[in-house]
Amino acid sequence: MKRSVLLLPVLVVSLLAGCQRGPVGSFSPEPGHSRPLTVVLPVSAEPAAGFDPAFGWGAGEHVHEPLIQSTLTVTNPDLTIGYDLATGMEVGEDGLTWTVTMRDDARFTDGEALTAGDVAFTYNTVKNTSSVNDLTMLDRAEAVGDTTVVFHMARPFSIWPYTMAAVGILPEHAYDPATYGTAPIGSGRYMLKQWDRGQQIILEYNPDYYGPQPRMEQVTILFMEEDAAFLAVQAGQADLAYTSAPYAGQDVEGYSLLSVRTVDDQGINLPVRNNPLTADPLVRQAINMGIDRQQMIDHVLSGYGTPAYSVCDGLPWYSPVNEVEHDPEGAKALLDERDWLPGADGVRTKGGVRAALTIHYAAGDPVRQGIAAELANQLRELGIETDVKGVGWDTAYEDALSNPLVWGWGAHTPMELYNIYHTAPGSDSALYSPYANKKADELMDAALACTDLEESYSLWQAAQEEIAGDVPWVWLVNVDHLYWVRDGLHVAEQKIHPHGHGWSVVNNIDRWSWE
Amino acid sequence: MRTWDRRRSTLLLLIAAGAALLAVSVAGGLLTEQAMATDFSRRDLAPCWGYPFGTDWMGRDMLARTLAGLSLSIRIGVLTAGISAAVALILGTVCAISGGWADAAVSWVIDLVMGIPHILLIILISIACGRGLWGVTAGVALSHWTSLARVVRGEVLQLHQAPYLRMARKLGVSQGKLLRLHLLPHLLPQLLAGLILQFPHAILHEASVTFLGFGLSPEQPAIGIVLEESMGYLALGRWWLALFPGLSLVLVVALFALLGERARLLLSPASAQG
Repeated sequence: MKRSVLLLPVLVVSLLAGCQRGPVGSFSPEPGHSRPLTVVLPVSAEPAAGFDPAFGWGAGEHVHEPLIQSTLTVTNPDLTIGYDLATGMEVGEDGLTWTVTMRDDARFTDGEALTAGDVAFTYNTVKNTSSVNDLTMLDRAEAVGDTTVVFHMARPFSIWPYTMAAVGILPEHAYDPATYGTAPIGSGRYMLKQWDRGQQIILEYNPDYYGPQPRMEQVTILFMEEDAAFLAVQAGQADLAYTSAPYAGQDVEGYSLLSVRTVDDQGINLPVRNNPLTADPLVRQAINMGIDRQQMIDHVLSGYGTPAYSVCDGLPWYSPVNEVEHDPEGAKALLDERDWLPGADGVRTKGGVRAALTIHYAAGDPVRQGIAAELANQLRELGIETDVKGVGWDTAYEDALSNPLVWGWGAHTPMELYNIYHTAPGSDSALYSPYANKKADELMDAALACTDLEESYSLWQAAQEEIAGDVPWVWLVNVDHLYWVRDGLHVAEQKIHPHGHGWSVVNNIDRWSWE
Repeated sequence: MRTWDRRRSTLLLLIAAGAALLAVSVAGGLLTEQAMATDFSRRDLAPCWGYPFGTDWMGRDMLARTLAGLSLSIRIGVLTAGISAAVALILGTVCAISGGWADAAVSWVIDLVMGIPHILLIILISIACGRGLWGVTAGVALSHWTSLARVVRGEVLQLHQAPYLRMARKLGVSQGKLLRLHLLPHLLPQLLAGLILQFPHAILHEASVTFLGFGLSPEQPAIGIVLEESMGYLALGRWWLALFPGLSLVLVVALFALLGERARLLLSPASAQG
């Protein structure tokens, strides 16, 4: 035991560096689009259940385009809705039917045509099997002819087009849930050629793809830990590799740093019950305005981030009402006003109760730890005695009911607002942190029931305006996603990345190019 | 006239090592607050006069963190040694004196506990005790008594058959008096040396458990956590994050091993006057 403890760091590092570098050969840069591309993603990006949309591929918290499969809709760079297989969509007056027409020239890579039957089969299958992709709002999907699908909804769901962007279409004739994840057949831009579990996948372009031919013909995606990814870049073995702020200051010859804007949104909940300090809305407002977000970005993220004021900054349903000026004096004045007065040691008290908070964060995530530490430093200056505490996810949800917890959110759908702020069914409070606002609930319900997507955006905004004064959550920073990019590789324009540093960057890998 | 014999130099070494460990323990205890303090204005500093062990990416003073971590380790070591010695002494004497089924039962328990991989046992106990500082302390402290108990049992068994003890029994000396006057003085050297030699085990086990991420949360200063965190930054060339805490851990463990060895030499009649 003695020896193993001392050797462990060395061993682990050499394992990471040694093993995972193996399969990639280095190659001399040749111009031309046929040069194979090597991309390094985090180990956590490798889908445990394989590339099966019925088991969450492409969907869920870290939503991205499934690449191997087609979807009906896609999200545009500005997060409005565009079409992939779909050619048009219409929603019934009551919001309970969606009729989607689709193109007739899409084929699966085994040569079979993709029809409305496959689409209906996919949605009905995903609804029944997927725990990742929530389709409870769908009653059933029905094919009408070969190119029209009718979705019968269980309840109106105005943002259905965003859900459709995250459901890859399965082949009804060749779908076996036991094997599909490892040998997927799709109609997307790429085919899965090889998957070495725990190591890499190799994607090859689909020559029969109905859209523009992919410019990258072969893509290898390696799954590596962060330090191994950095070593791979230093050794010149990757064309693009994910990285994070601590590495951003390094200089690597032949590479430059790509910083992508995100809604990878870090924030804390402020329980409006169960906590004597945060139960007061004015105290919550004081905390919200007392935080210097830019300083947090400079300190924790080396400047690679943007201030966050909501869970949907920069998305079409975002309301600027969330923005707040950094005003420490105003924050202190608010605390004074609520009789939280500074004592001899600088800590505020009210009726003998000390103004104390313990910021919880997920142990093992250095960024969240840094955010918690910086937040604690800033709150101490306001006179709030603040500690931090790393916890596991097994207890974190429970802890968050009475303490602030550092969360990461941010997805390409307004449902994120609903999930965080809407009163949970059968309860008198929102799911993750005690909070309830009837008016906001009604506005969000109306947004979902609305039959016009554009109009629903303004209802989502109205809900945010209703919530803004309550400050049940304080949003802090959007963490930029950072990548090392080999000189000469042109990465196509990225849409705002959602929470989760993973597949988003390769959403449009077919349009990348070499100079 | 030999004024500088081995006994004296051993004693001196013993005192010096003990003082050094005590100093680390006390300093670390006082520095706990400082070890958790973050200050982003002094992040990533290489070792310098102000921060001899450098600082990490959150601007935490690595010297304070190392000392606080080692201090925690040493304190857990003290507790472990104390509990182990007490348990070992009680069980060892009970089974040696009562003999028969009591001996068999205790031996069986010792074998059972020793049969479980040690690190696993620590993790199990610490989870059962609710994790956190308390869990780690309980896990380490409650799992180290077996080897010492076995040694004490063997020793007592052996002493039991010694002529002077058999004589004493024949003369009707009571069990308690026998234990106090004749057994304990003989057991003491073994027990003390064994007790001190528990420290390196306890410290390294505490370090490995916290290294593996069981127990303490990452903002707390424990030597395992410090080493675990440092690994992420080796590729960035922040060598000081791993080197100094690692060396300090080795040094503390080596000091305890030395202390135990010297104490044994000094206390054991065969070598004490050498």
